[in-house]
Amino acid sequence: MKQMTIPQAVAEALHQVMAADPAVFLIGEDLAMGGVFGAAKGLKERFGPARVVDTPISETSFLGLGIGAAMSGMKPVVEIMFCDFLGVCFDQLMNQAAKMRFLSGGTVSLPLVIRTTMGAGDGSGAMHSQSNYGLAASVAGLRVACPSNSADAAGLLKTALEGPDPVVIFEHKGLFDVETPADPELPPVPFGKARTLRQGADVTLVAIAAMVPVALAAADHLAKRGIGVEVIDPVTINPLDREAILASVAKTGRFAVLDEGAAFAGVADALVSLVVREAFRSLKAAPAAITPPHTPVPYAPALEAAWLPDAARVEAAILKMMEDV
Amino acid sequence: MTPDDQLALYARARFARAFEAAVARARDAGEVPGVVHLNGGQELVELGVFHQLDGARDRVTGSHRSHGLALAAGIAPAIVAAEIMGRTGSLSGGLGGTQHLVPAGGLFMGSNGIVGGQVPLAAGAAFAARSKGNGGIAVAFFGEGAAQQGGVMETMNLAIVLGLPLLFVCVNNGWAQSTGADASAGAPLASRARAFGMHAESVDGGDLGAVDAATRHLVSQIRTNGQPAFLEAHVSRVGGHYHGEDQGYRKDGKLTDPLDRLRATLVEAGVTAANLHRIEEEAEARARAAFEEAALEPMDDPSTLALWARDLGGLT
Repeated sequence: MKQMTIPQAVAEALHQVMAADPAVFLIGEDLAMGGVFGAAKGLKERFGPARVVDTPISETSFLGLGIGAAMSGMKPVVEIMFCDFLGVCFDQLMNQAAKMRFLSGGTVSLPLVIRTTMGAGDGSGAMHSQSNYGLAASVAGLRVACPSNSADAAGLLKTALEGPDPVVIFEHKGLFDVETPADPELPPVPFGKARTLRQGADVTLVAIAAMVPVALAAADHLAKRGIGVEVIDPVTINPLDREAILASVAKTGRFAVLDEGAAFAGVADALVSLVVREAFRSLKAAPAAITPPHTPVPYAPALEAAWLPDAARVEAAILKMMEDV
Repeated sequence: MTPDDQLALYARARFARAFEAAVARARDAGEVPGVVHLNGGQELVELGVFHQLDGARDRVTGSHRSHGLALAAGIAPAIVAAEIMGRTGSLSGGLGGTQHLVPAGGLFMGSNGIVGGQVPLAAGAAFAARSKGNGGIAVAFFGEGAAQQGGVMETMNLAIVLGLPLLFVCVNNGWAQSTGADASAGAPLASRARAFGMHAESVDGGDLGAVDAATRHLVSQIRTNGQPAFLEAHVSRVGGHYHGEDQGYRKDGKLTDPLDRLRATLVEAGVTAANLHRIEEEAEARARAAFEEAALEPMDDPSTLALWARDLGGLT
């Protein structure tokens, strides 16, 4: 195993897939310099400008180009620098990428990967800090992955390039400086297969991307108080490993979700809804959705810190749930 | 274009017109689910461009008004008809429909329900052709309404910057639904393309000779230099924005039908009235037959939706 950051692992995975498959190409802004976070490091030098395509600031056009190229036998990796910019090209995402396979009756495949970054915590303000994977996940026809570590970021990218549906991979900027262990081969990671990161008998806690370490810290603290928290990283939001989540809730009888996405109508609400509908009789307490408040991401460090869920909030929510008998 | 080519193209244009008339009849009879946008008036531009294309390596995207492109690309008329009627035996089995004709592959890549949405996709097909090095080009058909979309202008810029073998075909019928051409600054639109550094030509889309000369030249140039080019073709929208529309806003008076004009040219060139009549009858009969065949196809069972929901990751 090798210690790698997410950008390092993604760059290495791109080196591997581009060397193996001439159909793969990268397109986006500032890729020639290696990408603003380094996830395209060394690719332009190795594969040239025809396969590492630097673009003007034209998300609508270059995402659409990726879609059309995918429909014509290529495997594009489109980089949208921040997921906030998906707003610029939302027609191409919501109408063009998401719907083509369905509209073709399943005859057209789109092995298209959209890599983007997300996440609050670095003072980037409201338009460079969102975590809007729930928005993408609400569009039928898109696949959505939210890696919490370097091996998953690389392995999900590889799997995504082999599938028939467009995939949006949301990489959390807050994890970019963290080294996590990865097999240097960076094997493909399956979609729809959750990871149970910690076993526990009392509460099932699903946590997404940068919320995974927060969940693990909270579970550590709660263990000292005798509360067993089972922490599940869903890895992909669509497809979602509903079986893993429901099996855990059947065991624990309590459910919480920790999600940096939308407080209203987002992934947290979708998971609570799933658990209530499918595991109602197992529940010993009302489920908890732990999200930021329903506001844009604030700029001031103190406000941003308060906005982001932390381990203390998770612990409080779970302790309340344990009292709710 | 030889006289024989012209006559063959007239037959295809007549068939396209007859097909759209059959779409209109099916719509009036309640056999088409939604509104349909017919291509009457732009047949010669579409067929003139396709005359230059190579089905093995080129790709074409079109707007909401693209039945004619699907037919020009050689998709069986009964399949297009079944798609428009939402039936099986079609492109999608009833999932796509008139504005979303998405074939599995081949020359015609798809039509589009979003104004201008198809133009970036054609850039992708051009990029793929360039990457494969097969000498293929892509063509984006769009209207002058779509020319006002940011994504279309982005794509004109991107195509120049990346050097993509892409022909922009702006079919200017003077009407963006009910909005006139005066909503478009910097006319003619070909001059916008020139401002991007693109070779651009304007033609009368009702003049087959002019369309043929321009498309022949532009397609050959794109194949040679790998750079994008732009064709603005002025046409008359023979019908409404959609079939059955009350066109109270229209002030463009009596239109010259480009098919009548081509017919007169053919008569002048010595094609007999009997021959033309036979072509017209055949077009009518083939269009009717396509819709009769399509009408025999059943609608898909709604259980297909549950399969799709599971396929696309639905939770229940």
